[in-house]
Amino acid sequence: MGEIGRLAIVLGFLVALWGIGASVVGGLRRNQGLIASGMHAAYAFSALTGIAVLALLQLLLARDFNVEYVASYSSSTLPLQYTIAALWGGMKGSLLWWTFILATFNAIVQLQNRRKNRDQMPYVTATLLATGAFFLSLLVFVTDPFERLPFTPTEGSDLNPLLQNYWMTIHPPSLYLGFVSTTVPFAFAVAALVTGKLGDAWIRTTRRWALFSWFFLSLGNLFGAAWAYVVLGWGGYWAWDPVENAAFMPWLTATAYLHSVMIQEKKDMLKVWNMVLVILTFSLTIFGTFLTRSGVISSVHSFTQSGLGPFFLIFLGIALAISLGLLFWRLPLLKSRNELESIFSREAAFLLNNLILVGIAFTVFWGTVFPVLSEWVRGVKITVGPPFFNRVNAPLGIALVFLMGVGPVIAWRRASWTSLQRSFIGPVGAGVGTGLAALLLGAGNFYAIVAFSVSAFALATVGSEFWRGMRVRQQMMGEAPWTALSRLIGKNRRRYGGYVIHVGVVMVFIGIVASSVFRIEIQKGLTAGQAVEVGDYTLRFEGVFDESDSHVDIRKARLSVWEDGKQLGEVLPEKRFYRKPEQPTTEVSIWSTLGADLYVVLGSYDTKSGTGVFQVFLNPMISWMWIGGFVLVIGTVICMWPSYAERTAEATSRVPAGSRTAT
Amino acid sequence: MRLPGALALAALLILVGSCGSAPETSATPTQVEAETALTCQCGCGLTVHSCNHLNCSSAMPLKAEIAEQIAQGRSLQQILEHFEGTYGEKILSSPTTRGFNIAAWTVPFIAIGLGGILVGFVLWRWRRGSAASPAGPAVVRSDADPLAPELRERLERELRELDR
Repeated sequence: MGEIGRLAIVLGFLVALWGIGASVVGGLRRNQGLIASGMHAAYAFSALTGIAVLALLQLLLARDFNVEYVASYSSSTLPLQYTIAALWGGMKGSLLWWTFILATFNAIVQLQNRRKNRDQMPYVTATLLATGAFFLSLLVFVTDPFERLPFTPTEGSDLNPLLQNYWMTIHPPSLYLGFVSTTVPFAFAVAALVTGKLGDAWIRTTRRWALFSWFFLSLGNLFGAAWAYVVLGWGGYWAWDPVENAAFMPWLTATAYLHSVMIQEKKDMLKVWNMVLVILTFSLTIFGTFLTRSGVISSVHSFTQSGLGPFFLIFLGIALAISLGLLFWRLPLLKSRNELESIFSREAAFLLNNLILVGIAFTVFWGTVFPVLSEWVRGVKITVGPPFFNRVNAPLGIALVFLMGVGPVIAWRRASWTSLQRSFIGPVGAGVGTGLAALLLGAGNFYAIVAFSVSAFALATVGSEFWRGMRVRQQMMGEAPWTALSRLIGKNRRRYGGYVIHVGVVMVFIGIVASSVFRIEIQKGLTAGQAVEVGDYTLRFEGVFDESDSHVDIRKARLSVWEDGKQLGEVLPEKRFYRKPEQPTTEVSIWSTLGADLYVVLGSYDTKSGTGVFQVFLNPMISWMWIGGFVLVIGTVICMWPSYAERTAEATSRVPAGSRTAT
Repeated sequence: MRLPGALALAALLILVGSCGSAPETSATPTQVEAETALTCQCGCGLTVHSCNHLNCSSAMPLKAEIAEQIAQGRSLQQILEHFEGTYGEKILSSPTTRGFNIAAWTVPFIAIGLGGILVGFVLWRWRRGSAASPAGPAVVRSDADPLAPELRERLERELRELDR
């Protein structure tokens, strides 16, 4: 099977090279045969990488420890779901997985565009295949996932115990989907630049792809935070680690793009800026991949150090040189009739939103690479950790949420003073009222009070938009409230779906602020029967018990949770001792409510004295982050759901021309 | 928007941003403040305060040493200098505000400030371009009904048809 996999990646690489050449030459000479050959190469590339993935998966499931990758990332006792997840648990497998996702997207793009964008498609195909060929070249020439060992170990080294968590099965795939799908808008942007067809067509074609990419980047980041929260046991979810930053930066620029592209669609402005954002987002995904695989910056998340770093930098350099070169070449065609009637307009608000989003992205980039800069310039290693990022980004985050409140209700072109008053008086009242309430309730932290105020302001503006739209429909159509609301959303899914996404993001923001500022933390040694108070809760240690299987030994502590003299339930924090590699891990136990999470870690247990040392955190409103994530999913689904007109157009395009005239 | 207005907006942004630009020092540091200002050396990548290894061979002695320093009445600055002298600059969880490290703190805000000025300038130019261009279609105010009654009636009728 290893040989089949190896053959598939070698053939895949050759097919990609052929596809790039055929597409480019076909596009330049308008040779339909070569263009079709490039398209077929894209399908073949997809099939071949699929075969390679299946081959590696089969080797993992068969526990073929003669294959170096299988021996390094699995064992005979590794549960099935983690054996499958080992496919992306190591560097070689993750590169193959990346290539497979890209190849699949390429095939989908070919299917979607078989009757449209025909002038651009050869260059889209070439760009997607070139990116795929780069990744596959690493697997063919540098780091072979099917490499065999000169001997067959009796047992594998197993997957890192920290990766043996259910989030491992969904976080990396989500992030990869987000990362890889940024290549599609990038490919269409390159094609638009090459062909000079710089109108809205490429933007309309890639609108859903951009949203898809943003959606999975959002989920990937949130899932990663949830994973860190339940696995790492330090009570937090985000440590501004370089790898976390690598996933966050493209999300920021993709968010900026989703807003600025609306200005291009409505006003035919910002054409150059939108190109820059698409190029930047793609480049940041490659930069993130470089960070995790180069070992240049130390991170707990990184794959083992490898010699792949320079290859990624070269590819990044080439991609930037070509795309920015094309952009420079086409600047005369990208000139827009830029006009702004008023600073009090949505266009201006979106520009400020872009400034802050890209500003945060730059800040994160700067903080991430600064240790390397310092070492180059001064020869001194320094650390740029959470205090730096929190201090610098806190005011920017607050300003961003404020603009999230302003954007939806301020009119395009020009907002009159009357409309501004009508739109903002309620939300400003909600914001000020929330700030005062927070102050009176004892929230002494300045940032927290301001953050809650702007969050309330942003939620109120979105709420008022729904309320006013619903009232208008009720009055004009005589609809019942629920019907009016659902039809309001249905008639303009993109707009109202976007508002729902804003609600989700604000909820995440509130969760971050509350859990960061008002966290309570206690470390205490307890013997059975002893209790500790944390906020309004009391935790009583009831004792420990052990569980074991062939893979892991588990020691669980049982603690009952009490509030106002009433037992609410129990938490069961664990210490796990994995057999291979022999490594202890901590499994936290969380009592979660909408108000706060009671987060309990078993640090150690002394069997002689019967004393368990516990670290307990009370994290206020952290569940708002996860609920905000669900709201974000709902909003994105609303945005992406095809409208009646789109469904009709799609259905019409599927009917052959002859049959249409016959009916 | 006039250019001065745009510049004022950019200046406000910089001002807001600068709220968090300088690390604070305290005469009587709490244990948590000092632990947060130092990075654990066990490789976890977290601060001494957040290190997830309860019996960490790095975080535990560091916490004890911090407590000792606080007991001696040292300020946060003095404690950080002590640890920097012993372990090197890499133990600090944020860059210092000396020499080249000043760039770590200032460059993001300078960049955002310059970006703000650029955005202000762009808005000003667009505004000027709009004022100079021949009269376009009438401005649609968000508080005005842009449709004549007969058009409104037709729109509603067609929307109702579409809903079916």
